[in-house]
Amino acid sequence: MHEPDLRIRNEIYSSFVRTGNAPTPSETARILDFAPDDVADAYRRLHDAHALVLFPGSTEIRMLNPFSAVETPHRVEAGDRSWFANCAWDALGIPAALQVNGFVRSACPDCGEELELEVRGGELVRGADLLVHFVVPARCWWEDIGFT
Amino acid sequence: MVFLRSEEHLERWLDRNGWEPGASMTATTLNELAQRWWRTRLERDWRPRTPVESQAILDELGLTGDFWRLT
Repeated sequence: MHEPDLRIRNEIYSSFVRTGNAPTPSETARILDFAPDDVADAYRRLHDAHALVLFPGSTEIRMLNPFSAVETPHRVEAGDRSWFANCAWDALGIPAALQVNGFVRSACPDCGEELELEVRGGELVRGADLLVHFVVPARCWWEDIGFT
Repeated sequence: MVFLRSEEHLERWLDRNGWEPGASMTATTLNELAQRWWRTRLERDWRPRTPVESQAILDELGLTGDFWRLT
């Protein structure tokens, strides 16, 4: 990954954590004083490199793993803010990435009952009795990251 | 990847969707994995991990075998 793409990637994450909104290429270009078309191309390269996930055929960001830019069943309170995560793993990844305590609300996909987990000091102190299941083998995770 | 209440809920969910079982772990193990996997994600000097580095994280937690091979 080239240095300009890393700068753009870091600015996207920084902006998302700051504002809670995924920036468009134009917004990122304005902050970095880059050309908007170049930044749009970088968004596509970052998607291809699995550094973020765009909606198909667009430069609109869907995932900044572990964060989700769209509403999901995995809600996380962390760092005095509320976030959506892409999956169970990402839900616990948000407190890890922010290096803060976190509270996760999810739902059992079988019965729909709300599930609660809490991370304090990096340790899971609530929800330890819950089970996690991976349907997709690791080598196939990026074939359909939305399903994964 | 989803959280489920128990093995019973998992079996029912897989059956209903017609999916083969994949791999399960406790939420505690997933949290350990999340801490190692995501902890550096927001650091200013972040660089993408190599597949070897990512595989090493899985290995450290005993997530070995064909299901957990990244490549």
